[in-house]
Amino acid sequence: MNFAMVDWVIVIGYLAVSLGIGILGKRYVGNVSHFLVAGRELGLYIGIATLAATEIGTITYMYNGEWGYKYGFASFAAAAISGLVMIFVGRTGFVISRFRALKLMTVPEYFELKYSRSLRILTGFLVALGGILNMGVFLKIEGEFLTIVSGINVRYLVAVMTVILLLELIYTVLGGMVSVVITDFLQYVLLSVATILVTIYAVWHAGWGQIVEKVTVTMGESGFNPLVNPKFGVTFLVWQVLLWFSVHTCWQTTAMRVFSTKSPELSKRVMTWTGFIFLGRGMLPMLWGIAALTMLGTGVVGTDGIPLPVVSGRTLQPIDAMPAMLAQILGPGVRGVVVAGMLAATMSVNSSYLLGWSAVISQDIILPIRRSLGKPPLDSKKQILVNRVANLFVSLFLMFWGLYYTPPGAVYLYLNITGTIFLAGAFVCVIGGLYWRRANSTGGYAAMLLGAAGAIIPYFFLHWSENITGFAAFGLAACGLVVGSLLGRRPAPVVEEAKNLKQIVRED
Amino acid sequence: MESWRLFWTIFLVVSGASFAFITVVVTVKGFRDLLDMFSGLIEQQEESRKH
Repeated sequence: MNFAMVDWVIVIGYLAVSLGIGILGKRYVGNVSHFLVAGRELGLYIGIATLAATEIGTITYMYNGEWGYKYGFASFAAAAISGLVMIFVGRTGFVISRFRALKLMTVPEYFELKYSRSLRILTGFLVALGGILNMGVFLKIEGEFLTIVSGINVRYLVAVMTVILLLELIYTVLGGMVSVVITDFLQYVLLSVATILVTIYAVWHAGWGQIVEKVTVTMGESGFNPLVNPKFGVTFLVWQVLLWFSVHTCWQTTAMRVFSTKSPELSKRVMTWTGFIFLGRGMLPMLWGIAALTMLGTGVVGTDGIPLPVVSGRTLQPIDAMPAMLAQILGPGVRGVVVAGMLAATMSVNSSYLLGWSAVISQDIILPIRRSLGKPPLDSKKQILVNRVANLFVSLFLMFWGLYYTPPGAVYLYLNITGTIFLAGAFVCVIGGLYWRRANSTGGYAAMLLGAAGAIIPYFFLHWSENITGFAAFGLAACGLVVGSLLGRRPAPVVEEAKNLKQIVRED
Repeated sequence: MESWRLFWTIFLVVSGASFAFITVVVTVKGFRDLLDMFSGLIEQQEESRKH
């Protein structure tokens, strides 16, 4: 066991406070808009905190650390793209300001406004499928981090992760977005302090000169130049730009923060400033991974051509190098703060994702199907109940999928591909819907189905590379929208869209 | 290779500094925002009760 008593006190204290303030949120939930978008009352600073906390988890640290270990400084290119694209989206308001002006609560809701209710249901299904599969690996990877850093016996991994999931579930089910925002603020502060502390410790112990030298000796130019690194190259970088544009505009958990801000103008500012945090979100953990390579990379050369990490004579996988390094370099007290920070990161992401995907299941699958069957709309309290039940369902699935499934290849790429299942089609449909009058339901169906097929078949069955899979998904989705829209009926006039919107808003 | 090394070093310093700076600002000013959100939500609940 690597934990001292002081570390346990810090971690358990954090969990208790987090649960307490999370439950506090319940008293502010009066209707479904409070539950899903915090009554659209988010200001600038709390907006930045919740958006950053939602997209920074232990899983983020783990996959970025793995990338730093495997690809050195060249991996920074992916982090730079994610941050710079976010800053661009924030500065221009591309998609997000129009989304916020429409007063949506979920991304698929837009599909009923622009296209049709049945396309909303299909999109909701694909969003929930891709999102839950994406989140499915979180528990296992996060559990690995905690067991390595704290030294808890791996036999207790399932129990530890179940307890963490239950804690998140309790406050998310009770207070929805309000609880998530309150806990996100505390969690953002903690995870940021932990991030800064770990960066200082990692560079201090590994030494900047040694870090640069290790990458130079191990990888040569491909450790610095993403254009010559065989894993990257121009195709990867272009795919990443496309992917991050779609993530920052159409990813349900990100979009929910946009929908929750006080105004479209404020949503742009939140996105812009969070973009700067996104630069550090990727690059700092990647630096930890490079430091881990410097300190522990002494084993036999692995399949990626990089020496595997070795700790006390035991060879580890590259993804476990970073937490193993932290277990060595952090002293009592600091280790507790860092693990509390990582737990904060874990809980903020998981609670937001639970809320995000269950919102899609309830608002975009169950409720529209009820309407299609001619049943009367549910009142706000019943809608909240449906959301809570969906939360439970998603949690149960995560426990089973997360513990039994191991993703093939790098975790970062698994996350990219499962996200692409719906992002390719959704992004193309949203762009087409907002900026191309001719886009219609036929094109929307074609885009969603071809985008999903373009992600699932090449990656899971044909085992194509992630870059080509990504391009196939986005390319097929774009072709589907254009060809389908040109072949299909002309879209409903703007007046019809406004009528659709009024109906949706009334039912909310 | 040398130019890439320099580029990433500068980028890393700028990103790390931005991360730390924004963290401080959000930590200091975020609490006020949180209180504003609570009062906004209470106002919304009171308005819906009136209607």
